[in-house]
Amino acid sequence: MMIDLDEMKQTWAHQDRKLDESLRMNRQLLNGTVLNKTRTAMQRMTLWLGIEGFVWFMIVVWIGSFVYEHIGVRLLAVSAIALDLYAIAMLAATLRQIVAARQIDYADIVSGIQRQLENLRILRIRITLGALLGGTVVWAPAMIVACKAFLGLDVNNTTWLWANNLFGLALIPLGLWLSKKYGDHTGGSPYLRRLMKDISGHNLNVAFASLTKLADFEKEERR
Amino acid sequence: MTTPARQERFQTLLDEHKKILYKVCNSYCRSRGDREDLAQEIIVQLWRSFESFDARCRFSTWMYRIALNVAISFYRRESTRTRLVLSETEQILNVADERATTSPEVDALYEFIGGLDVLSKALMLLYLDGHSYLEIADVLGISESNVATKISRMKQTMRREVNPPAQV
Repeated sequence: MMIDLDEMKQTWAHQDRKLDESLRMNRQLLNGTVLNKTRTAMQRMTLWLGIEGFVWFMIVVWIGSFVYEHIGVRLLAVSAIALDLYAIAMLAATLRQIVAARQIDYADIVSGIQRQLENLRILRIRITLGALLGGTVVWAPAMIVACKAFLGLDVNNTTWLWANNLFGLALIPLGLWLSKKYGDHTGGSPYLRRLMKDISGHNLNVAFASLTKLADFEKEERR
Repeated sequence: MTTPARQERFQTLLDEHKKILYKVCNSYCRSRGDREDLAQEIIVQLWRSFESFDARCRFSTWMYRIALNVAISFYRRESTRTRLVLSETEQILNVADERATTSPEVDALYEFIGGLDVLSKALMLLYLDGHSYLEIADVLGISESNVATKISRMKQTMRREVNPPAQV
């Protein structure tokens, strides 16, 4: 049993010398795949955000032209404008995440970078929650626009609209309940598991707890 | 510097400092698969940042910053990661004689480090590797006196745990 840090330091130095003799680096693998093909998690995330941003941009443009074509029909125009505002907000949120992700320089001090990463995580979770909440609100306008654009149908039935709005709103407590109950039992999909934990608030709590730990770590202690 | 020349220079430096990679991966991951994933992630990040590396700085300090930053975020991302499956021959780091490099003391040491929180792990690694308080402060972004206090606290805690005061 090691009794103190100084003794541990000696063991560490001893292992260091052994590693000098036996540790080898696979240069072939390094050249062949790691340096040329592999992307970091942050690169993958930025790439996905880029694709997402492009999709939202296309949606904004497409709905914009839909508004222009149906500006004379009040219900269609109002629905499409509401949907377009949602898409613009999503595009802005995606761009904000890309900017925040690109500002992260891993060669910077550990506490600073970890804070940036946690803040980025909090931003991502809030955007996810905002998107889901907004999605339940724009559910009915989206149906009106989709029915007209893809099926050529005019939806003017007030009861139908109310039913869709209520359905959208009912999804909020249902989603919360499902995520809390089944958040940890979503099978092998890590993305679904993350989404469930985002909705239930688990991931947000973890991110805030990490920020608190970081602040405690940075805090000057008295000897 | 051309890309092949830069790549060659990077590989040489990485080879000289591969022990940092080994120690960080061993301290933050328990399974071999995770260690390999983390090693690759760190190397790719090092390579991406290498262009902005200031040759006037110490490579080991710069490498430690990146390796620790990647390791801490890797550790937190555990549940959403896509695992790489690699065979024995597809490992970046290979220890020629595994039995010669490990011992009950070394295992206990990694066990102890494994029990620390992610930031204290980083502090401990740098301390054990012989970095000065100033260098540790520079990597972690806390004051030198804070490093000294934390190390002193760790020493006290360890002593207390091994020799608990007799109960009255």
